[in-house]
Amino acid sequence: MKKSLVAAAGTAVLALALAACGGGGSGGGGGGGASAAAGTPKEGGNLVMARADEVQSLVPWVPTDNASIWTLEEIYDTLLVPKPDGHGVEASVATSWSQSADKLSWTFRLRHGVKFSNGQPLTSADVKFSLEQASKPNTPFYFIDQVIKSIGTPDPYTVVITTKQPWSPLPADMALFANSIVPKNYDGETAAQFAQHPVGSGPFALSSWVKGQSIKLVKNPHYWQPGKPYLDSVTFTVVADANTRATQIQSGQAQVDEFPAYSSISALNAANTKVGIFDSSRVDYFVMNNRKAPFTDPQVRLAVNEAIDRAALIKTVQFGYGTPAKGYMSPVLWAYAPSIAPPAYSLSASKASLAKSKYPTGFSTTITVAAGNDIQQSAAQLIQASLAQIGIKATIATLDPSALSTALQNGNFDMSFAYQTTDIVDPDEIIRFAGLYNGGSNAMYSGYNNTELETLADKADTLSSQTARQQVYDQIQEMVNQANPYAALYYSPSVYAFGADVQDFHPYPTGNYNLVGTWLSSS
Amino acid sequence: MLRYLGHRVLLLIPVVFGVITISFFLMHMSPGDPARTLLGPKASQHSVDLLRHQWGLDRGLGWQYLHFLGATVTGQLGDSFYFASPIMQLLRLRIPVTLLLMLMGAIFAVVIAVPLSVVSTTSRHSYSAAVVRGFNAVVQGMPTFFIGSMLILFLGLKAGAFPAGGYPSSGFPAQLRALILPAFTVALGMVPLLVRSLNASMTEISRSEFVAFGRAKGLDRGRVMLRYVIRNSSIAGISILGIQVAVLAGGTLVVEQVFALPGMGSLLMDAILNRDYPVVQACTLTFAILVVLIYLVTDLLYAALDPRVRQV
Repeated sequence: MKKSLVAAAGTAVLALALAACGGGGSGGGGGGGASAAAGTPKEGGNLVMARADEVQSLVPWVPTDNASIWTLEEIYDTLLVPKPDGHGVEASVATSWSQSADKLSWTFRLRHGVKFSNGQPLTSADVKFSLEQASKPNTPFYFIDQVIKSIGTPDPYTVVITTKQPWSPLPADMALFANSIVPKNYDGETAAQFAQHPVGSGPFALSSWVKGQSIKLVKNPHYWQPGKPYLDSVTFTVVADANTRATQIQSGQAQVDEFPAYSSISALNAANTKVGIFDSSRVDYFVMNNRKAPFTDPQVRLAVNEAIDRAALIKTVQFGYGTPAKGYMSPVLWAYAPSIAPPAYSLSASKASLAKSKYPTGFSTTITVAAGNDIQQSAAQLIQASLAQIGIKATIATLDPSALSTALQNGNFDMSFAYQTTDIVDPDEIIRFAGLYNGGSNAMYSGYNNTELETLADKADTLSSQTARQQVYDQIQEMVNQANPYAALYYSPSVYAFGADVQDFHPYPTGNYNLVGTWLSSS
Repeated sequence: MLRYLGHRVLLLIPVVFGVITISFFLMHMSPGDPARTLLGPKASQHSVDLLRHQWGLDRGLGWQYLHFLGATVTGQLGDSFYFASPIMQLLRLRIPVTLLLMLMGAIFAVVIAVPLSVVSTTSRHSYSAAVVRGFNAVVQGMPTFFIGSMLILFLGLKAGAFPAGGYPSSGFPAQLRALILPAFTVALGMVPLLVRSLNASMTEISRSEFVAFGRAKGLDRGRVMLRYVIRNSSIAGISILGIQVAVLAGGTLVVEQVFALPGMGSLLMDAILNRDYPVVQACTLTFAILVVLIYLVTDLLYAALDPRVRQV
C-alpha cells in the first residue's frame, strides 16, 4: 500500500510542482508543430482537456497556479497579449499604445465594441478598477504593477498610466494575466460573490464549476473577435494520474492531455493521437547555497558546474526533450544571449578547479529534492555520481514540496533544484527574479548578491531602445555566468497530447492555451 | 441494546478528540507555510506575512488550538485556505463519492470472496484450492494502481465498456457506472485476506458436529452450506471485512488518483501538500467519525449474526 501511495503521490506531486510557477511547461526548447490546419475551421464542439491539477481561483489577481491562470486567460481579456513567438506584445483590447515624451506615462487607446459576457461594454473605468485590484499589496503579482503611480481615464476609450520612473516593460506588464479586465466594482457584487460567478470579455465564459473535479466554459456570445471562438465549449477535468489521462485521449474521452509523461510520448504519437512540443520559457537550475561554505568559494562552484553533464541529464531525465542551457535566460525571451558559454562538461577541468579551491580533496554535502518528484530524484542521482568522481560526496535528502519551498526560501539547504517560468514577455521579470538578490528569489535561492546587477537592471528599464536594453542584459548574464551561483541546466518545452481531430491548438510560450483559434474537425 | 448503542456513540468523543488534536499539532509543527504555498514563489515576504496575519497564523499555537477547538465544537468547519470557499461545500461533494466507493467495494469483495472460498474448501478436485491460493497470492502482490491502470486499459480502452476514469457531476446511474471499475479494484485489494479468513472458518465449521448431524439427518450439501456453514463462518469474516473497510476510509487515495474520482482521500492529500490546515482538520475529523461508525456497524452485525455475543 505504501509503495503505491508514493507512486501515485509522485504523479500528483510532480504535476503540482510543475504547475507551481505561473506560465510554464515541462520539457526543453524546440519550436511548435501542433496540428497543421486541415482546411477551414468548423464551428461547434466541446473540447475536453484533462489536466493533473484543479483550479484554485478564477479571480485574476488571486491564483499563482498554472491550472487557474491558463483557465482564467480564456475568460478575460488584457489590454495587450503576447505575440505568438513570445518576442513582444500585440494589440488586444488596446489597439495602440505609446510612451509620453518625458517617458513617465503610457497611453493606451481602447477598441470600441468590446463587451463582457453579460453584454455590458468594456470601458476605461473597468480597466482602471481592475489594475487597482491587481496592485493591492496582498496580491501575489502586485510587484509587477508596483511601478504604477496613477491611472487616468480621460475618456471611456483611453487609459493613461503614469509611472514612478521611466518604465519600458509596461506594455508587457499589461499582457500579464493578473492585469485582466473585470467589470468595474465587480458589477455591483462583492469580491467573494464575483469569485463564484466571474465575468470577463474573453472568448469563453464560465458555465459550471465543480470544485476539484471539472470546469466548463461556454462560448461568449458577445466576444469582440467576429466568428470566434470556434468551439461551443471547453471542459477542463482533473485527472491526476498521467496513465489515466493518456488512456482518456486514446479512447476519445478527452481531446487534450496536458503534460503526458515523457516516457509515454512515443506511444502517444500513434494513429489517433498526436503529441505537440511547444516553446516554454521554463529554465531548470541546480542551485548551490552561496551563503554556506564550501559554496562561498567561487572555485568550488565552478568545479560543480564543470562536473555536470547536461546532455546526459536531458537524455536520461527528460527523455531527450530539452536543450542544454547557456545563460540563465530562456531563448523564448528576446534578452536571451546565445553568446554566453557556461563551463563545458569536463571532469578533468572540474578536478583542476577544485584543486585551486580551499577544498582540494573534496567534501561532503547534501542534495535536497522534492518528495515524489521522479525527475528531481533521477537528476540528483546522476549529479551525485558525477560529483563523486571529483571527490564531492553528496547524499540525497528528500523533503515534501511545501517544506522544500520553505527550506529554499530560508537558505536551509546545501544543493537543490529550482526552476522558473516567465509571466510576461518582457525579460525584466526574469532578469531580476533569477539573477538578482532582490529580484524575488535571492537569485534562485542561491543567495548570490551582486549590487552592480541591481543598478544595471534598473538602468535597462529606463531605456527605450531594445538594442540598448539587450546590451545591458548581455552584461548581466555574463556576470552571472562568471560567478556560477548555480548551474543553469536546460530549457524545457511544453508537451501536450491531443486527439487527431483537434486543430490549431497552439499554446503560447507563456503557457496561455489561446483556445480562441482552436477547432475540432469532428464537429 | 439502546444503552449499548449510546455507550458506543459516547466513545466517539475521546477518539475524535484525540485524532483531531494529534493532526492539528502534526500539521502546524511541520515545515511549510500555507500562505507561501498559496501565493507562490514570486510573492513578496510582505504579502505572505499579511496573509498569515489574516489567517491568524502569527498567533501562538495554543491560541490557535483553542480557537480551532471552539469552532469545531460549534460545527463551524470554516473556509479552505486554498479555495477560499466553505469546507462544508467541498465535503458535501466528496464524502458521497468515497462512501459509495467503499460500500460498492465491500459488496464486490463479499460477492467475489464467498464463492471463491466455498469452491476452495468444498471442491472435490484437489486443484481448486491451489488455483484459489494462486489467485490470492498474485492479487495480493499487485499494487492497487497497477490493477486499476490495467482495468482501465483493458475494460475501459480496449473493450470500451467503462469510462477511463472520471466521475460525472450528475446522473446517478452514470456515477454508479463510473464507480464499477474503481470498486472492483478496491475489492480485489480486500479479497485475499477475506478468502483466507473464510477458508479457515469454513474448514473448521465443516468439521463441526452440527454440520455432520445435519448431513446425517439428510439435508443436502447446498442447504447445509448456505444455512449453517457460511452463516457461521461469516462471523470471523465480518470482523476482517469491517477492519478492511475502516482502513479503506483514508486508503481510497490511490484508487481515486488513478480513476480521477473526486473523493476524500485526494482532498486530504492535496490539503496536506498545500498546507490547507482547515481542510486537513475537517478531513481527519470526518475520517475519525467514519471509522468509529464502521466499527460500530461491524459489532452490531456481529451481534446480529451470533446470538452468543448478545448474551454477554
